[in-house]
Amino acid sequence: MQKLLEIQNLSVNYGAIQALQAIDLFINEGEIVTLIGANGAGKSTTLKAISRLVNPVGGRIFYQGQDVTRMAAHQVVRSGIAHSPEGRRVLTRQTVLTNLELGAYGRSDRLGIKADLEKQFLTFPRLGERRQQLAGTLSGGEQQMLAIARALMSRPKLLLLDEPSLGLAPQIVLEIFAVIRQLHQQGVTILLVEQNANLALQTANRVYILEAGQLTLTGNAAELLTDERVRQAYLG
Amino acid sequence: MDITLFLQQFLNGLSIGSVYAIFAVGYTLVFSILGIINFAHGAVFTLGAYFTYFLSGGAVGTNGLLANLALPFQFSFAIALLLGSILSGLSAIAIERLAFRPLRLKGADPLLTLVSSLGAALVIVNVLQYLVGAEIYTFSEGIYGDLPASINLGTAERPIMIRTVQIIIFGVSAVMVGILTYGIGFTRMGKALQAVAEDATTASLLGIDPERFITLTFFVSGFLGGMAGALVGSSVSIASGPYFGIAYGLKGLGVIVLGGLGNIPGAIVGGMVIGLAEAFVPTDFSGYKDAIAFAILFVMLLVRPQGLLGRSRIQKV
Repeated sequence: MQKLLEIQNLSVNYGAIQALQAIDLFINEGEIVTLIGANGAGKSTTLKAISRLVNPVGGRIFYQGQDVTRMAAHQVVRSGIAHSPEGRRVLTRQTVLTNLELGAYGRSDRLGIKADLEKQFLTFPRLGERRQQLAGTLSGGEQQMLAIARALMSRPKLLLLDEPSLGLAPQIVLEIFAVIRQLHQQGVTILLVEQNANLALQTANRVYILEAGQLTLTGNAAELLTDERVRQAYLG
Repeated sequence: MDITLFLQQFLNGLSIGSVYAIFAVGYTLVFSILGIINFAHGAVFTLGAYFTYFLSGGAVGTNGLLANLALPFQFSFAIALLLGSILSGLSAIAIERLAFRPLRLKGADPLLTLVSSLGAALVIVNVLQYLVGAEIYTFSEGIYGDLPASINLGTAERPIMIRTVQIIIFGVSAVMVGILTYGIGFTRMGKALQAVAEDATTASLLGIDPERFITLTFFVSGFLGGMAGALVGSSVSIASGPYFGIAYGLKGLGVIVLGGLGNIPGAIVGGMVIGLAEAFVPTDFSGYKDAIAFAILFVMLLVRPQGLLGRSRIQKV
């Protein structure tokens, strides 16, 4: 299998705090990999380092064999990595449609963009119904759908999903995870950061567990789901 | 009040209000994207007036390093105004590079940037004074070509006189507001600009380069500020020389606060309100125009602290 993304020895500091300490991680093409761990373990920081919202103090990030460690954030998305950020961060003062169109900002193939727009409305019919509505007026679940759909509008090879279940009703969470599996079947490679470890392990192929900025355990998701240590620490 | 006098003052108010509006839009654009008041905006207003004055054939006065010099070529007012505004936009980009960007990239407190923009304003004013002196510059009489100095919109018995320059000011300002509203509201770049203004980090995740849009914003802001300066300067002369823009800078600040900080329609409405309010100040009190304008602002803010069209601000924690 081809490694789509490879992180070597990555460290990130916030001031004096070491958020990530020399982590190594890779994602094969076509996989769903999940990163789980407690609050503040460095899960979001890992995603932010990949999409270049934070500067690592050490280590390298390779995407399709190319070193992207020092690339600018707006170039990362153009190279095929889309990030649906923590807290959704939809543009509240713009319509659903504009949010989606801006998701395709780096693209110039008008017809392709149009087709992808229709595809999002097919995947998320509620976004289609609300396309002229301001994103700030959407419910939390709808905003999450918009954040994912917006990320997909750049036609990514690698999708970074940060806490897509956060603060949502169980029914909506199931809906969103159904979409995540569907995207995986369509061939999108996914790095999923989740608090809901149970759901994450059931969805992913492989798993990395972060504790206080360090990777402590990695393996096959199905195996870790029955691992006693994991059950005690994360599945309760 | 007599109806013709009322109409007369109304037209005066519209004209000056429209120029306040484009000046204030330039101000508020930078605020909307950076959350910082650019105190050098008044200096760019002054620069625009000087650029246009020299490009339209004006000579330097008898003071300053460049005394008595003039450009070896000259343009019609329309071309000079356009070029002067472009140069003002480029000056604003230079201000951004020197006074804003270095601090922003270091993550400095916005208050520091506020002070450095004030510093940039003082440097510009002093350099101008060094180069061209501190005297009043008046655009030459024939600057608008063959157009009459003023026209009568009323009748011979009840004249409503409006100066041609006031019509030009209103027309140019209205066109600028139209282009800007379309450009920001309905184009791909305009939407990207709004995205940067709302959340620059998220914009970068969408493939938008925030720095490029900050540069563009300063250019447009400087273009509008310089154009406002040139229009006012051609109408009433570059009074108080290099210090010309300071009073307007302060008033522009009042306008954007009145309209709602960072709100473009607010800046336009605010400019018109202040312009009209000033026009209706009785002649006996015209020396107190600014005080009256700011009194209106103060009272309004007591009632609506977020400005006329501003959103109420929810403090982020």
